[in-house]
Amino acid sequence: MAGLIKKTTGLVGLAVAQNPHDRLRILYSKILACLQTMPQDAAYRKYTEQLVNDRFSHVKSEPDVGKLEQKINCGQIEEVIAQAEYELALSRKMAEWKPWEPLVEEPPANQWKWPI
Amino acid sequence: MASTAAARTVSGAGKVVKPIFSRDLDEAKRRVRELYRAWYREVPNAVSLYQLDITARQGRDKVREMFNKNKHVTDPRVIDMLVIKGKMELQETIHVWKQKTHIMRYFHETETPRPTDFLSKFYNGHDP
Amino acid sequence: MAASLVRLVRGGLGRSFSVANRSAAFLQQARSETTTTETRPTVRPKDAVTHNQLSAFGEYVAEILPKYVQQVQVTCYNELEVMIHPDGVIPVLTFLRDHTNAQFRNMIDLTAVDIPTRQNRFEIVYNLLSLRYNSRIRVKTYTDELTPVDSAVPVHQAANWYEREVWDMFGVFFANHPDLRRILTDYGFEGHPFRKDFPLSGYVEVRYDDEVKRVVAEPVELAQEFRKFDLNSPWEAFPAYREPKEAPKLEAGDKPPASK
Repeated sequence: MAGLIKKTTGLVGLAVAQNPHDRLRILYSKILACLQTMPQDAAYRKYTEQLVNDRFSHVKSEPDVGKLEQKINCGQIEEVIAQAEYELALSRKMAEWKPWEPLVEEPPANQWKWPI
Repeated sequence: MASTAAARTVSGAGKVVKPIFSRDLDEAKRRVRELYRAWYREVPNAVSLYQLDITARQGRDKVREMFNKNKHVTDPRVIDMLVIKGKMELQETIHVWKQKTHIMRYFHETETPRPTDFLSKFYNGHDP
Repeated sequence: MAASLVRLVRGGLGRSFSVANRSAAFLQQARSETTTTETRPTVRPKDAVTHNQLSAFGEYVAEILPKYVQQVQVTCYNELEVMIHPDGVIPVLTFLRDHTNAQFRNMIDLTAVDIPTRQNRFEIVYNLLSLRYNSRIRVKTYTDELTPVDSAVPVHQAANWYEREVWDMFGVFFANHPDLRRILTDYGFEGHPFRKDFPLSGYVEVRYDDEVKRVVAEPVELAQEFRKFDLNSPWEAFPAYREPKEAPKLEAGDKPPASK
Protein backbone atom coordinates (compact mmCIF):
# COMPACT_ATOMS: atom_id res chain seq x y z
CA MET A 1 0.00 0.00 0.00
CA ALA A 2 2.85 2.36 0.96
CA GLY A 3 0.66 5.28 1.86
CA LEU A 4 -0.97 5.22 -1.56
CA ILE A 5 -4.54 3.99 -1.36
CA LYS A 6 -5.94 2.32 -4.45
CA LYS A 7 -9.38 3.68 -5.32
CA THR A 8 -10.51 1.40 -8.14
CA THR A 9 -9.44 -1.59 -10.16
CA GLY A 10 -10.83 -0.04 -13.34
CA LEU A 11 -12.89 -3.21 -13.90
CA VAL A 12 -16.65 -3.26 -13.58
CA GLY A 13 -17.89 -5.34 -10.65
CA LEU A 14 -14.45 -5.90 -9.15
CA ALA A 15 -13.95 -3.99 -5.92
CA VAL A 16 -10.58 -3.11 -4.44
CA ALA A 17 -9.45 -5.81 -2.03
CA GLN A 18 -8.78 -4.56 1.50
CA ASN A 19 -6.57 -7.40 2.70
CA PRO A 20 -5.36 -9.26 -0.37
CA HIS A 21 -2.67 -11.22 1.46
CA ASP A 22 -5.05 -12.67 4.04
CA ARG A 23 -7.64 -13.45 1.43
CA LEU A 24 -5.15 -15.20 -0.84
CA ARG A 25 -3.66 -17.12 2.08
CA ILE A 26 -7.09 -18.47 3.04
CA LEU A 27 -8.04 -19.34 -0.54
CA TYR A 28 -4.76 -21.05 -1.37
CA SER A 29 -4.74 -23.16 1.76
CA LYS A 30 -8.34 -24.18 1.02
CA ILE A 31 -7.40 -25.19 -2.53
CA LEU A 32 -4.44 -27.21 -1.28
CA ALA A 33 -6.62 -28.94 1.29
CA CYS A 34 -9.13 -29.83 -1.41
CA LEU A 35 -6.35 -31.16 -3.65
CA GLN A 36 -5.21 -33.45 -0.82
CA THR A 37 -8.34 -35.56 -1.34
CA MET A 38 -7.35 -36.43 -4.91
CA PRO A 39 -5.05 -39.32 -5.82
CA GLN A 40 -1.35 -38.56 -5.78
CA ASP A 41 -0.76 -39.13 -9.50
CA ALA A 42 -3.71 -37.13 -10.81
CA ALA A 43 -2.44 -34.63 -13.37
CA TYR A 44 -4.85 -31.97 -12.20
CA ARG A 45 -3.56 -32.22 -8.64
CA LYS A 46 0.04 -32.18 -9.77
CA TYR A 47 -0.21 -29.09 -11.96
CA THR A 48 -2.53 -27.14 -9.69
CA GLU A 49 -0.41 -27.82 -6.63
CA GLN A 50 2.63 -26.61 -8.51
CA LEU A 51 0.85 -23.44 -9.60
CA VAL A 52 -0.73 -22.68 -6.24
CA ASN A 53 2.46 -23.35 -4.30
CA ASP A 54 4.33 -21.04 -6.62
CA ARG A 55 1.89 -18.20 -6.04
CA PHE A 56 1.56 -19.00 -2.34
CA SER A 57 5.30 -18.62 -1.85
CA HIS A 58 5.19 -15.24 -3.56
CA VAL A 59 2.33 -14.17 -1.29
CA LYS A 60 4.25 -15.29 1.78
CA SER A 61 7.52 -13.61 0.84
CA GLU A 62 6.33 -10.33 -0.67
CA PRO A 63 4.46 -7.87 1.57
CA ASP A 64 4.17 -5.12 -1.06
CA VAL A 65 1.09 -5.47 -3.26
CA GLY A 66 2.55 -3.81 -6.35
CA LYS A 67 5.63 -6.02 -6.38
CA LEU A 68 3.51 -9.08 -5.66
CA GLU A 69 1.38 -8.32 -8.73
CA GLN A 70 4.54 -8.10 -10.81
CA LYS A 71 5.88 -11.36 -9.42
CA ILE A 72 2.68 -13.31 -10.01
CA ASN A 73 2.27 -11.57 -13.38
CA CYS A 74 -1.39 -12.41 -13.92
CA GLY A 75 -3.15 -9.05 -13.67
CA GLN A 76 -4.10 -7.00 -10.63
CA ILE A 77 -4.25 -8.59 -7.21
CA GLU A 78 -8.06 -8.49 -7.28
CA GLU A 79 -8.02 -10.53 -10.47
CA VAL A 80 -5.62 -13.00 -8.88
CA ILE A 81 -8.06 -13.34 -5.98
CA ALA A 82 -10.91 -13.97 -8.42
CA GLN A 83 -8.82 -16.62 -10.18
CA ALA A 84 -8.13 -18.32 -6.86
CA GLU A 85 -11.85 -18.31 -6.07
CA TYR A 86 -12.68 -19.94 -9.41
CA GLU A 87 -9.90 -22.48 -8.92
CA LEU A 88 -11.27 -23.39 -5.49
CA ALA A 89 -14.78 -23.91 -6.89
CA LEU A 90 -13.30 -25.95 -9.74
CA SER A 91 -11.17 -28.15 -7.49
CA ARG A 92 -14.25 -29.04 -5.42
CA LYS A 93 -16.15 -30.00 -8.57
CA MET A 94 -13.16 -31.92 -9.91
CA ALA A 95 -13.01 -34.04 -6.78
CA GLU A 96 -16.58 -35.06 -7.59
CA TRP A 97 -16.11 -35.64 -11.34
CA LYS A 98 -12.82 -37.58 -11.03
CA PRO A 99 -11.54 -36.71 -14.52
CA TRP A 100 -8.29 -38.63 -14.00
CA GLU A 101 -10.08 -41.91 -14.61
CA PRO A 102 -9.63 -43.69 -17.97
CA LEU A 103 -11.68 -42.65 -20.98
CA VAL A 104 -15.42 -43.31 -20.55
CA GLU A 105 -15.95 -44.49 -24.10
CA GLU A 106 -13.93 -44.64 -27.29
CA PRO A 107 -15.39 -42.63 -30.17
CA PRO A 108 -17.10 -44.64 -32.90
CA ALA A 109 -14.89 -45.40 -35.87
CA ASN A 110 -14.43 -42.46 -38.24
CA GLN A 111 -16.19 -40.07 -35.86
CA TRP A 112 -13.38 -37.54 -36.05
CA LYS A 113 -12.24 -38.32 -39.60
CA TRP A 114 -12.36 -35.25 -41.80
CA PRO A 115 -12.91 -34.95 -44.72
CA ILE A 116 -15.34 -37.84 -44.51
CA MET B 1 -25.18 -38.43 -14.51
CA ALA B 2 -26.89 -40.96 -12.29
CA SER B 3 -29.41 -41.86 -14.96
CA THR B 4 -26.68 -42.64 -17.50
CA ALA B 5 -24.89 -44.82 -15.02
CA ALA B 6 -28.12 -46.66 -14.35
CA ALA B 7 -28.72 -47.16 -18.06
CA ARG B 8 -25.24 -48.52 -18.48
CA THR B 9 -25.72 -51.11 -15.78
CA VAL B 10 -29.16 -52.10 -17.08
CA SER B 11 -28.34 -52.68 -20.72
CA GLY B 12 -24.91 -54.13 -19.94
CA ALA B 13 -23.30 -55.65 -22.96
CA GLY B 14 -25.70 -54.36 -25.61
CA LYS B 15 -25.80 -50.95 -27.23
CA VAL B 16 -25.95 -48.35 -24.48
CA VAL B 17 -28.53 -45.67 -25.12
CA LYS B 18 -28.96 -42.59 -23.02
CA PRO B 19 -32.65 -42.11 -22.20
CA ILE B 20 -34.18 -38.67 -22.72
CA PHE B 21 -36.63 -38.83 -19.83
CA SER B 22 -38.35 -42.21 -19.72
CA ARG B 23 -36.58 -45.36 -18.67
CA ASP B 24 -39.18 -47.69 -20.20
CA LEU B 25 -42.30 -47.74 -22.35
CA ASP B 26 -44.76 -47.42 -19.46
CA GLU B 27 -43.17 -44.22 -18.26
CA ALA B 28 -43.22 -42.82 -21.79
CA LYS B 29 -46.90 -43.72 -22.12
CA ARG B 30 -47.63 -41.96 -18.86
CA ARG B 31 -46.05 -38.81 -20.23
CA VAL B 32 -48.14 -39.09 -23.39
CA ARG B 33 -51.32 -39.38 -21.33
CA GLU B 34 -50.34 -36.32 -19.29
CA LEU B 35 -49.79 -34.34 -22.47
CA TYR B 36 -53.09 -35.55 -23.90
CA ARG B 37 -54.95 -34.44 -20.78
CA ALA B 38 -53.31 -31.03 -20.89
CA TRP B 39 -54.28 -30.57 -24.52
CA TYR B 40 -57.81 -31.83 -23.82
CA ARG B 41 -58.28 -29.23 -21.09
CA GLU B 42 -56.71 -26.47 -23.16
CA VAL B 43 -58.95 -26.90 -26.22
CA PRO B 44 -62.07 -24.95 -25.06
CA ASN B 45 -59.77 -22.27 -23.69
CA ALA B 46 -57.97 -21.93 -27.00
CA VAL B 47 -61.21 -21.86 -28.98
CA SER B 48 -62.46 -18.86 -27.01
CA LEU B 49 -59.05 -17.13 -26.81
CA TYR B 50 -58.35 -17.31 -30.52
CA GLN B 51 -62.03 -16.83 -31.47
CA LEU B 52 -61.93 -19.91 -33.67
CA ASP B 53 -64.93 -20.86 -35.78
CA ILE B 54 -64.95 -24.40 -34.47
CA THR B 55 -66.53 -26.14 -31.54
CA ALA B 56 -64.54 -27.60 -28.67
CA ARG B 57 -65.69 -31.00 -29.87
CA GLN B 58 -64.02 -30.49 -33.25
CA GLY B 59 -60.87 -29.30 -31.56
CA ARG B 60 -60.69 -32.33 -29.33
CA ASP B 61 -61.27 -34.63 -32.27
CA LYS B 62 -58.34 -32.96 -33.97
CA VAL B 63 -56.14 -33.45 -30.91
CA ARG B 64 -57.11 -37.08 -30.81
CA GLU B 65 -56.34 -37.45 -34.50
CA MET B 66 -52.91 -35.87 -34.04
CA PHE B 67 -52.08 -38.26 -31.22
CA ASN B 68 -53.38 -41.23 -33.18
CA LYS B 69 -51.15 -40.34 -36.07
CA ASN B 70 -48.14 -41.46 -34.00
CA LYS B 71 -49.68 -44.42 -32.23
CA HIS B 72 -47.44 -46.91 -34.03
CA VAL B 73 -44.31 -45.52 -32.30
CA THR B 74 -42.92 -47.86 -29.65
CA ASP B 75 -39.40 -46.56 -28.97
CA PRO B 76 -39.54 -44.67 -25.65
CA ARG B 77 -36.94 -42.16 -26.84
CA VAL B 78 -38.93 -41.31 -29.97
CA ILE B 79 -42.08 -40.99 -27.84
CA ASP B 80 -40.22 -38.67 -25.48
CA MET B 81 -39.08 -36.52 -28.38
CA LEU B 82 -42.63 -36.28 -29.72
CA VAL B 83 -43.91 -35.40 -26.24
CA ILE B 84 -41.29 -32.66 -25.94
CA LYS B 85 -42.39 -31.17 -29.26
CA GLY B 86 -46.04 -31.50 -28.27
CA LYS B 87 -45.34 -29.71 -25.01
CA MET B 88 -43.67 -26.85 -26.84
CA GLU B 89 -46.68 -26.55 -29.15
CA LEU B 90 -48.96 -26.50 -26.14
CA GLN B 91 -46.88 -23.78 -24.52
CA GLU B 92 -47.06 -21.72 -27.68
CA THR B 93 -50.82 -22.16 -27.76
CA ILE B 94 -51.40 -21.33 -24.10
CA HIS B 95 -49.30 -18.15 -24.17
CA VAL B 96 -50.94 -17.02 -27.44
CA TRP B 97 -47.58 -16.80 -29.17
CA LYS B 98 -49.35 -18.46 -32.06
CA GLN B 99 -52.01 -16.71 -34.06
CA LYS B 100 -55.25 -17.92 -35.51
CA THR B 101 -53.57 -18.98 -38.72
CA HIS B 102 -51.16 -21.28 -36.89
CA ILE B 103 -53.96 -23.01 -35.03
CA MET B 104 -56.14 -23.38 -38.08
CA ARG B 105 -53.23 -24.89 -40.01
CA TYR B 106 -53.97 -28.18 -38.25
CA PHE B 107 -57.31 -28.38 -40.04
CA HIS B 108 -56.06 -28.11 -43.64
CA GLU B 109 -59.24 -26.30 -44.73
CA THR B 110 -58.08 -24.87 -48.02
CA GLU B 111 -56.18 -27.85 -49.32
CA THR B 112 -57.70 -29.90 -52.09
CA PRO B 113 -57.00 -33.59 -51.62
CA ARG B 114 -54.47 -34.90 -54.06
CA PRO B 115 -55.78 -37.24 -56.78
CA THR B 116 -55.12 -40.90 -56.21
CA ASP B 117 -56.43 -42.91 -59.16
CA PHE B 118 -55.24 -42.61 -62.72
CA LEU B 119 -58.26 -40.88 -64.22
CA SER B 120 -58.45 -38.06 -61.69
CA LYS B 121 -54.71 -37.55 -62.04
CA PHE B 122 -55.27 -37.31 -65.76
CA TYR B 123 -58.05 -34.74 -65.34
CA ASN B 124 -55.91 -32.78 -62.95
CA GLY B 125 -53.43 -32.13 -65.73
CA HIS B 126 -49.73 -31.62 -65.50
CA ASP B 127 -48.25 -32.63 -62.20
CA PRO B 128 -44.56 -33.39 -61.98
CA MET C 1 -0.25 -11.28 -42.26
CA ALA C 2 2.67 -11.80 -44.59
CA ALA C 3 0.39 -13.34 -47.22
CA SER C 4 -1.87 -10.29 -47.26
CA LEU C 5 1.16 -8.02 -47.41
CA VAL C 6 2.42 -9.79 -50.48
CA ARG C 7 -0.97 -9.44 -52.13
CA LEU C 8 -1.03 -5.71 -51.39
CA VAL C 9 2.38 -5.20 -52.91
CA ARG C 10 1.36 -7.02 -56.07
CA GLY C 11 -1.86 -5.04 -56.44
CA GLY C 12 0.01 -1.75 -56.16
CA LEU C 13 2.49 -2.83 -58.77
CA GLY C 14 -0.21 -3.84 -61.19
CA ARG C 15 -1.81 -0.42 -60.95
CA SER C 16 1.41 1.48 -61.54
CA PHE C 17 2.16 -0.92 -64.34
CA SER C 18 -0.98 0.02 -66.29
CA VAL C 19 -0.56 3.75 -65.73
CA ALA C 20 3.06 4.08 -66.75
CA ASN C 21 3.39 1.38 -69.32
CA ARG C 22 5.15 3.71 -71.77
CA SER C 23 8.27 4.02 -69.69
CA ALA C 24 10.33 1.05 -70.66
CA ALA C 25 12.82 1.42 -67.86
CA PHE C 26 10.09 1.49 -65.24
CA LEU C 27 8.49 -1.48 -66.88
CA GLN C 28 11.70 -3.38 -66.71
CA GLN C 29 12.08 -2.49 -63.05
CA ALA C 30 8.49 -3.42 -62.30
CA ARG C 31 8.89 -6.73 -64.03
CA SER C 32 12.01 -7.54 -62.11
CA GLU C 33 10.20 -6.62 -58.88
CA THR C 34 7.23 -8.80 -59.70
CA THR C 35 9.48 -11.71 -60.38
CA THR C 36 11.13 -11.23 -57.02
CA THR C 37 7.80 -11.12 -55.20
CA GLU C 38 6.39 -13.98 -57.25
CA THR C 39 8.98 -16.34 -55.90
CA ARG C 40 7.26 -16.32 -52.52
CA PRO C 41 4.03 -18.26 -52.55
CA THR C 42 0.91 -16.42 -51.40
CA VAL C 43 0.11 -18.82 -48.63
CA ARG C 44 -0.09 -18.23 -44.95
CA PRO C 45 3.34 -18.68 -43.40
CA LYS C 46 3.78 -21.32 -40.76
CA ASP C 47 3.82 -20.01 -37.24
CA ALA C 48 5.75 -22.69 -35.43
CA VAL C 49 5.81 -20.91 -32.06
CA THR C 50 2.03 -20.57 -31.79
CA HIS C 51 1.61 -24.08 -33.12
CA ASN C 52 3.88 -25.52 -30.44
CA GLN C 53 2.25 -23.49 -27.70
CA LEU C 54 -1.20 -24.64 -28.73
CA SER C 55 -0.23 -28.29 -29.01
CA ALA C 56 1.46 -28.11 -25.62
CA PHE C 57 -1.70 -26.67 -24.10
CA GLY C 58 -3.77 -29.33 -25.86
CA GLU C 59 -1.62 -32.04 -24.33
CA TYR C 60 -1.99 -30.35 -20.95
CA VAL C 61 -5.79 -30.47 -21.22
CA ALA C 62 -5.72 -34.08 -22.40
CA GLU C 63 -3.45 -35.10 -19.53
CA ILE C 64 -5.68 -33.50 -16.91
CA LEU C 65 -8.97 -34.78 -18.34
CA PRO C 66 -8.19 -38.23 -19.73
CA LYS C 67 -11.70 -39.36 -18.80
CA TYR C 68 -13.38 -37.19 -21.43
CA VAL C 69 -10.86 -36.04 -24.03
CA GLN C 70 -10.71 -38.40 -26.99
CA GLN C 71 -8.47 -36.47 -29.32
CA VAL C 72 -6.61 -33.17 -29.54
CA GLN C 73 -5.45 -31.53 -32.72
CA VAL C 74 -4.12 -28.23 -33.98
CA THR C 75 -5.30 -27.32 -37.45
CA CYS C 76 -3.10 -25.83 -40.13
CA TYR C 77 -4.47 -22.38 -39.26
CA ASN C 78 -3.37 -22.73 -35.64
CA GLU C 79 -6.74 -23.52 -34.14
CA LEU C 80 -6.72 -25.85 -31.17
CA GLU C 81 -9.48 -28.45 -31.26
CA VAL C 82 -10.37 -30.76 -28.39
CA MET C 83 -12.66 -33.69 -29.18
CA ILE C 84 -14.55 -34.90 -26.14
CA HIS C 85 -17.11 -37.51 -25.17
CA PRO C 86 -20.66 -36.06 -24.85
CA ASP C 87 -20.75 -36.95 -21.12
CA GLY C 88 -17.92 -34.51 -20.52
CA VAL C 89 -19.45 -31.30 -21.81
CA ILE C 90 -20.01 -29.72 -18.40
CA PRO C 91 -16.70 -30.86 -16.79
CA VAL C 92 -14.54 -29.85 -19.75
CA LEU C 93 -16.21 -26.47 -20.23
CA THR C 94 -16.07 -25.76 -16.49
CA PHE C 95 -12.43 -26.76 -16.35
CA LEU C 96 -11.56 -24.52 -19.28
CA ARG C 97 -13.50 -21.66 -17.71
CA ASP C 98 -12.20 -21.89 -14.14
CA HIS C 99 -8.68 -23.26 -14.36
CA THR C 100 -6.07 -20.56 -13.80
CA ASN C 101 -3.99 -21.68 -16.76
CA ALA C 102 -6.98 -21.71 -19.14
CA GLN C 103 -9.54 -19.03 -18.22
CA PHE C 104 -11.70 -19.47 -21.32
CA ARG C 105 -14.42 -17.36 -19.79
CA ASN C 106 -16.24 -16.28 -22.96
CA MET C 107 -18.35 -18.51 -25.13
CA ILE C 108 -18.06 -17.09 -28.62
CA ASP C 109 -20.19 -19.57 -30.51
CA LEU C 110 -22.00 -22.85 -30.22
CA THR C 111 -23.19 -24.63 -33.31
CA ALA C 112 -23.69 -28.03 -34.86
CA VAL C 113 -22.65 -29.83 -38.01
CA ASP C 114 -24.75 -32.51 -39.69
CA ILE C 115 -22.91 -35.41 -41.30
CA PRO C 116 -25.57 -38.01 -42.08
CA THR C 117 -23.19 -40.83 -42.99
CA ARG C 118 -21.83 -41.09 -39.46
CA GLN C 119 -23.24 -43.19 -36.67
CA ASN C 120 -23.55 -40.04 -34.51
CA ARG C 121 -24.60 -37.64 -37.19
CA PHE C 122 -24.35 -34.34 -35.30
CA GLU C 123 -21.16 -32.66 -34.20
CA ILE C 124 -21.68 -30.00 -31.54
CA VAL C 125 -18.99 -27.33 -31.65
CA TYR C 126 -18.16 -24.90 -28.83
CA ASN C 127 -15.88 -21.94 -29.58
CA LEU C 128 -14.33 -20.37 -26.50
CA LEU C 129 -12.17 -17.31 -25.96
CA SER C 130 -9.72 -16.56 -23.17
CA LEU C 131 -9.27 -12.83 -22.79
CA ARG C 132 -6.51 -13.28 -20.22
CA TYR C 133 -4.24 -15.28 -22.53
CA ASN C 134 -5.65 -13.93 -25.84
CA SER C 135 -6.33 -17.42 -27.01
CA ARG C 136 -9.13 -19.43 -28.54
CA ILE C 137 -10.10 -23.07 -28.30
CA ARG C 138 -12.68 -25.22 -30.01
CA VAL C 139 -14.37 -28.08 -28.18
CA LYS C 140 -16.21 -30.67 -30.25
CA THR C 141 -18.52 -33.44 -29.24
CA TYR C 142 -21.05 -35.64 -30.99
CA THR C 143 -24.60 -36.89 -30.68
CA ASP C 144 -27.43 -38.30 -32.78
CA GLU C 145 -31.09 -37.36 -33.21
CA LEU C 146 -32.31 -39.00 -30.02
CA THR C 147 -29.41 -38.70 -27.59
CA PRO C 148 -29.67 -35.67 -25.31
CA VAL C 149 -26.59 -33.54 -24.68
CA ASP C 150 -26.06 -31.79 -21.35
CA SER C 151 -26.85 -28.11 -21.68
CA ALA C 152 -23.93 -25.71 -21.27
CA VAL C 153 -26.11 -22.95 -19.80
CA PRO C 154 -25.00 -23.57 -16.17
CA VAL C 155 -21.43 -22.92 -17.33
CA HIS C 156 -21.92 -20.20 -19.93
CA GLN C 157 -25.04 -18.05 -19.96
CA ALA C 158 -24.35 -17.23 -23.59
CA ALA C 159 -25.16 -20.80 -24.56
CA ASN C 160 -28.87 -20.28 -23.93
CA TRP C 161 -29.91 -18.90 -27.29
CA TYR C 162 -27.26 -20.85 -29.20
CA GLU C 163 -28.68 -24.08 -27.87
CA ARG C 164 -32.18 -22.98 -28.76
CA GLU C 165 -30.90 -22.32 -32.26
CA VAL C 166 -29.26 -25.72 -32.52
CA TRP C 167 -32.46 -27.35 -31.23
CA ASP C 168 -34.51 -25.45 -33.79
CA MET C 169 -32.26 -25.99 -36.76
CA PHE C 170 -30.94 -29.50 -36.09
CA GLY C 171 -33.27 -31.04 -33.53
CA VAL C 172 -30.59 -31.86 -30.95
CA PHE C 173 -32.16 -32.03 -27.51
CA PHE C 174 -30.28 -30.32 -24.67
CA ALA C 175 -31.02 -31.78 -21.24
CA ASN C 176 -31.54 -29.33 -18.36
CA HIS C 177 -31.86 -26.32 -20.61
CA PRO C 178 -33.88 -23.63 -18.76
CA ASP C 179 -36.00 -22.53 -21.70
CA LEU C 180 -35.72 -24.79 -24.72
CA ARG C 181 -38.11 -23.73 -27.49
CA ARG C 182 -38.02 -22.57 -31.07
CA ILE C 183 -36.14 -19.38 -31.86
CA LEU C 184 -35.92 -18.93 -35.64
CA THR C 185 -38.73 -20.88 -37.29
CA ASP C 186 -42.40 -19.94 -37.33
CA TYR C 187 -44.84 -21.41 -34.83
CA GLY C 188 -46.26 -24.61 -36.21
CA PHE C 189 -43.23 -25.20 -38.42
CA GLU C 190 -42.36 -28.85 -38.70
CA GLY C 191 -38.91 -30.26 -39.27
CA HIS C 192 -35.40 -29.01 -38.68
CA PRO C 193 -34.15 -26.97 -41.65
CA PHE C 194 -30.40 -27.43 -41.25
CA ARG C 195 -30.52 -31.19 -41.41
CA LYS C 196 -29.08 -32.49 -44.62
CA ASP C 197 -32.24 -34.49 -45.34
CA PHE C 198 -34.49 -31.42 -45.17
CA PRO C 199 -35.53 -30.57 -48.75
CA LEU C 200 -34.35 -27.28 -50.19
CA SER C 201 -37.91 -26.22 -51.01
CA GLY C 202 -39.30 -27.10 -47.58
CA TYR C 203 -42.52 -28.97 -46.99
CA VAL C 204 -45.12 -26.17 -46.97
CA GLU C 205 -45.67 -22.89 -48.75
CA VAL C 206 -47.74 -20.03 -47.32
CA ARG C 207 -50.13 -17.65 -49.04
CA TYR C 208 -52.97 -15.35 -48.09
CA ASP C 209 -56.35 -16.89 -48.77
CA ASP C 210 -59.16 -14.46 -49.42
CA GLU C 211 -61.93 -16.93 -48.63
CA VAL C 212 -60.89 -17.78 -45.09
CA LYS C 213 -59.29 -14.33 -44.57
CA ARG C 214 -56.02 -15.57 -43.18
CA VAL C 215 -52.65 -16.92 -44.19
CA VAL C 216 -52.76 -20.58 -45.03
CA ALA C 217 -49.98 -23.14 -45.40
CA GLU C 218 -50.17 -25.80 -48.07
CA PRO C 219 -47.86 -28.53 -49.24
CA VAL C 220 -45.32 -27.32 -51.75
CA GLU C 221 -46.24 -27.84 -55.37
CA LEU C 222 -43.43 -27.10 -57.75
CA ALA C 223 -44.60 -25.88 -61.14
CA GLN C 224 -41.46 -27.30 -62.65
CA GLU C 225 -39.77 -30.54 -61.94
CA PHE C 226 -36.88 -30.22 -59.55
CA ARG C 227 -33.78 -29.85 -61.65
CA LYS C 228 -30.52 -31.25 -60.60
CA PHE C 229 -27.65 -29.01 -61.52
CA ASP C 230 -24.15 -30.29 -61.83
CA LEU C 231 -22.47 -28.02 -59.35
CA ASN C 232 -19.11 -29.74 -59.38
CA SER C 233 -16.53 -27.05 -59.66
CA PRO C 234 -13.99 -27.42 -62.43
CA TRP C 235 -11.40 -26.47 -59.83
CA GLU C 236 -10.24 -28.91 -57.28
CA ALA C 237 -11.25 -27.82 -53.80
CA PHE C 238 -9.11 -30.28 -51.85
CA PRO C 239 -6.19 -31.29 -54.01
CA ALA C 240 -4.43 -32.73 -50.99
CA TYR C 241 -7.24 -35.21 -50.44
CA ARG C 242 -7.52 -36.38 -54.01
CA GLU C 243 -8.73 -39.93 -54.44
CA PRO C 244 -6.64 -41.76 -57.01
CA LYS C 245 -8.74 -42.33 -60.09
CA GLU C 246 -9.10 -45.81 -61.38
CA ALA C 247 -7.19 -45.64 -64.58
CA PRO C 248 -7.38 -48.62 -66.91
CA LYS C 249 -4.06 -50.31 -66.64
CA LEU C 250 -2.37 -51.96 -69.48
CA GLU C 251 -1.37 -55.48 -68.88
CA ALA C 252 2.13 -56.34 -69.71
CA GLY C 253 1.50 -58.09 -73.00
CA ASP C 254 3.68 -59.89 -75.38
CA LYS C 255 6.76 -58.30 -76.67
CA PRO C 256 6.16 -55.88 -79.50
CA PRO C 257 6.94 -57.39 -82.82
CA ALA C 258 10.44 -56.61 -83.81
CA SER C 259 10.62 -53.67 -86.13
CA LYS C 260 11.66 -54.42 -89.56
